[in-house]
Amino acid sequence: MSFNPLEQRGIPLDRQVRNWRELNVAPLDPDHCDPYTRCRVIAMNGIEVEAILFSHQFARHCTDPDVRQMLARVRYIESQQQKAVNWLLPGVSSVLETTIAYEQVAVDLTAWVARAEPDPYLKQAYQFGLLEDFDHLYRYANLYELIEHRKAESIVDGLTEVMPGRPTPLHHRAPVDNLREPYDRSRTDPLSKLHALTIMAAEQQTMNFYMNVGPTYMEPIARQLYQEIGMIEEEHVTHYESLVDQGETWWEQLVNHEYNECYLYHSFMEQESDPKVKALWELHLNMELEHLHQACELMRRNDGREPAEILAPALPNVLTFEPNKNYVRQVIEEQLDLTTLGTGYVREAHERFEAMQAALNDGGPAPSDQVMTEHQEAFGRDYRMQEGEHPVPALREDWNHWNR
Amino acid sequence: MSPATPLGAPDPEKDVVALLIQQHGEIRNLFDEVEKTKGDDRRDAFHRLVRMLAVHETAEEQIVHPVARKAAEGGEQVVADRLEEERKAKEALSRLESMDVEDSAFLPALVELRMDVMKHARAEERYEFTHLRRMNDPKKLANMAKALKAAEAAAPTHPHPGTETAARNAVAGPFASIMDRVRDAVRDARGKSR
Repeated sequence: MSFNPLEQRGIPLDRQVRNWRELNVAPLDPDHCDPYTRCRVIAMNGIEVEAILFSHQFARHCTDPDVRQMLARVRYIESQQQKAVNWLLPGVSSVLETTIAYEQVAVDLTAWVARAEPDPYLKQAYQFGLLEDFDHLYRYANLYELIEHRKAESIVDGLTEVMPGRPTPLHHRAPVDNLREPYDRSRTDPLSKLHALTIMAAEQQTMNFYMNVGPTYMEPIARQLYQEIGMIEEEHVTHYESLVDQGETWWEQLVNHEYNECYLYHSFMEQESDPKVKALWELHLNMELEHLHQACELMRRNDGREPAEILAPALPNVLTFEPNKNYVRQVIEEQLDLTTLGTGYVREAHERFEAMQAALNDGGPAPSDQVMTEHQEAFGRDYRMQEGEHPVPALREDWNHWNR
Repeated sequence: MSPATPLGAPDPEKDVVALLIQQHGEIRNLFDEVEKTKGDDRRDAFHRLVRMLAVHETAEEQIVHPVARKAAEGGEQVVADRLEEERKAKEALSRLESMDVEDSAFLPALVELRMDVMKHARAEERYEFTHLRRMNDPKKLANMAKALKAAEAAAPTHPHPGTETAARNAVAGPFASIMDRVRDAVRDARGKSR
């Protein structure tokens, strides 16, 4: 189905404000909802949070009072959208359960984007990050069983495997090695812009989530694990944001943001299994069409360019939450040992990487390894949920990657 | 470098809060099992769930709530809120106990109970257990864990009543009868230790 958001009009901006009753959405049932409905909620919350933060930054760099007024009007609506979306998450879920759902988002969203990405350099960047989020899922799943005595399969529901990826302690790189080369805004496929914005927003939300909920834990091992993985999310935001061409004008970035929101609400509406949530995606799509229209007007007026020049002629294929088990296994098999050097990738532990590792590990093992040791002591095994043996022989029996 | 925070999650054998959180997980696992099984398997899983709930709730009532009441200002009200949640869950449970597991109304009622129990468990973890942790008294938490284990061991393994409680059980259901037995066991254990 071809859908061109540039040719559609949505709900007029002055009719988009919702009252408290309309914002008071009924939360999902954590034990009976489609796990991918929860994934869509978490992903879309990240997109809305990015929309809000981007608009604030824009306003702080904008001297035109008319533009600041327009940004404020749209931003208020986006804040309501963020509330309506994120408040679908149920209060009965523990923080760790929501965390495991965040990692399921990171795995299946990044895997899908990596598969769909036309540019090989960008594809490599997603594959690289994928193996790290995949290992975070495994480490948090072990913490979950240790503390709550539940298995993460009750959350991910067999849609995503839980087993070792690239070992978490090895994700800590020298900060400069987290920067990538950006795509070229004038030559890249418009789809690549949407991918980069989406994954950047999702990882940014994960970073914000961990940095704020981590200290609400009482258990020392939980506090430490959130701290460690929170630092890796900082690396991931650096990694993904650097893919976006820094030469894009503010107006161009605003249009890309609004267009991406249309793309994702449209995608999620097409695949949603929960009728109430589907209705919300549809409503928000109709709001976003108008936000996009306003952004396009600002770009025409201030940049003197047609938004159609930087956008795709129609929405790309629906971005889909679906199992990526075979794909993830293949990437593990081929790329587990990679690290970054400058803006490229290498297999050897180079000097800058070793120095960073030494600085972090000289007081004892990383929390992500401690949690595995604790789990092994308590249960005599690690927790994993895999279909068939692990693609890397050394990680089949033993979690301990240092024995490889 | 400053000394590291002690490693590791608290041991459920030596820490009543860890033990209770573990049981919350086990209760949810049992709900999963009841939902996924059919016929006699479901009947069996449901009996184990009823027993687990009865033992867990009684032990909390006898061992945890009294300490939480005194652990902090407002403790009395925190416990009162939990008792109200428990009352609601017990009502839902007694409706289920009067039903056969094959009854078409059973699963919807079970899902409703599950949500009540989960809300209660999460509220305990957030608003009650934090007070126990703040007492900063590992010995006390260890003793409470021991008492909870003892109460659990004393509970009948099957919800079927002995002859002495048959009459009462017929009125109140197996859940109530297990609660009575656990209460007695906790009192006995306390009597002996004095």
